[in-house]
Amino acid sequence: MIKRILHYFRLYFYQAWFSYRSLFSWSTPFTYLTSKIGFPFFSMLFFVFMGKFVGFSDPMFIVVGNILMMPVTNGLYGLSMTIGNERQFGAMSYLLGSPAPRAPLFTGRAFFHILDGFITIVVALPIAMLLFKIDFSGINFMLLICCLALLAITTTGLGFIMGTISLLSRDGWMLTTTLGQLLYILIGVNIPIDKLPPTLQTISAYLPMTRGMQATRLALFGAGWENVAGLLLGELLVAVVYIIVGYTLFMYVERASMSTGSLDSI
Amino acid sequence: MINHFFRLGFVQMGVQLRMRVLNLWSLVLFFTQPAIFSTVGILLSRAAGNANPDLIYTVLGAGIMGMWSGLVFTSTYDIRADRATATLELIVGSPTPLRRVVGFRSLMNILAGSSSMIAASAVAVLLFNYSFVGINVLGAVISFLLLLIGLWCMGVFLANLFAWSRLSGTFVDLLEMPIALLCGFMFPISVLPLWMQKISAVFPIRWGLEGLRDSLQGGMIDSALTTKWLISLGISLVFYLLSRWFDNKVHDHIRVTGELNSI
Repeated sequence: MIKRILHYFRLYFYQAWFSYRSLFSWSTPFTYLTSKIGFPFFSMLFFVFMGKFVGFSDPMFIVVGNILMMPVTNGLYGLSMTIGNERQFGAMSYLLGSPAPRAPLFTGRAFFHILDGFITIVVALPIAMLLFKIDFSGINFMLLICCLALLAITTTGLGFIMGTISLLSRDGWMLTTTLGQLLYILIGVNIPIDKLPPTLQTISAYLPMTRGMQATRLALFGAGWENVAGLLLGELLVAVVYIIVGYTLFMYVERASMSTGSLDSI
Repeated sequence: MINHFFRLGFVQMGVQLRMRVLNLWSLVLFFTQPAIFSTVGILLSRAAGNANPDLIYTVLGAGIMGMWSGLVFTSTYDIRADRATATLELIVGSPTPLRRVVGFRSLMNILAGSSSMIAASAVAVLLFNYSFVGINVLGAVISFLLLLIGLWCMGVFLANLFAWSRLSGTFVDLLEMPIALLCGFMFPISVLPLWMQKISAVFPIRWGLEGLRDSLQGGMIDSALTTKWLISLGISLVFYLLSRWFDNKVHDHIRVTGELNSI
């Protein structure tokens, strides 16, 4: 039993490390940094000036929202590529043909993306606070760290789903990018949720990161556990649902590919 | 000679158009991303208490954004794809100069990207009742043409830059949004800090765009507008000459090393 558990752990971390390394090990530090912060940083500035032009009174809302959005680069785009590339590089047949248990194979791919997303946000947030002179003297640090970690985890739910869709469709990357950009509207990155049209508010309630982002904003302004517990629990629940949906979808795709014998062409 | 030139252009642009239409990624670049940025602008404007968004900046600006995103990605990715599929050497080795192939491709990319501007204009008219009454039509047409020339020159410049070094592919993420930011695609330049405004002066798109907005707001063709046109044209020419220089550099490099894929 213990041997089996150790085997699962070994498989999980090996998968995590190799899949992450295959995505980034070819790049230089400069390439890595530009791919991680290039678009998010400059789009944040773009939205800040757009807000300034239209008279939006709270530019810091946009700055903080875009910083909190950064784990999406890992959790959604990175993870989706990690899974989707298996087919593109012809490794799908070997992966599905192996007797290894699927749960560590599939979920392991998220580990280093979660870690990387968390570190990105932990580094970017203080820099943004210094650059934009944001005063968060009342920050509840423990709660903030907890919220940031949860945000890094919850983005992977969408990544699992979109990664599996990338196995099904050759245009999966287009769908992933579209979804990633829709998040700029839907989860309270640039516009407060209560200012969205009612339909969009309803959609945002079912998306990961919406509650996590609200909780993090509250934590930045000194809110306590009791103020954000409901939001964090809701965020956790949504994350678990998305990860389960992603895993179930992957199992379904695997079964379908086995029955048709078309591993790489489905 | 002239027949050959036009035949090459026709064939090259035909292939390029098919590639753009068949690649769904174009959908994101030309329509989805600009629409999302425009929606953010509209919702921010409403959140700020404005009854109606500024259509020239928030909606038509998104069209310009689609044109630029389409150009920067397609011009750069085409060369990267040529390098990856080893067709870059065949193109360079053919009697037709690389710059001519790249030039026709960039032209098609810009014309395809104009669909983004057409879509943005349709949205402005149909959804927001934008009226073209009172605009300076001649000024708008000339400014738009100069904008296209500016975009084309930058597209050719980028494509040659990417042919020159594979490392330049790294800069795609550092080109799309910064230029959109510096040239004020969806807001006036005046909201930027002064140092940013100074940097933006080196891009022809900024001047063409300012001329277009002035004309859409009914501004007359005066010395201020013609100055913007001349600056736009002048900087476009500088970008074009730079791309010629890069083109020569690529060919020199191939002659010396005998290889292209590894540079």
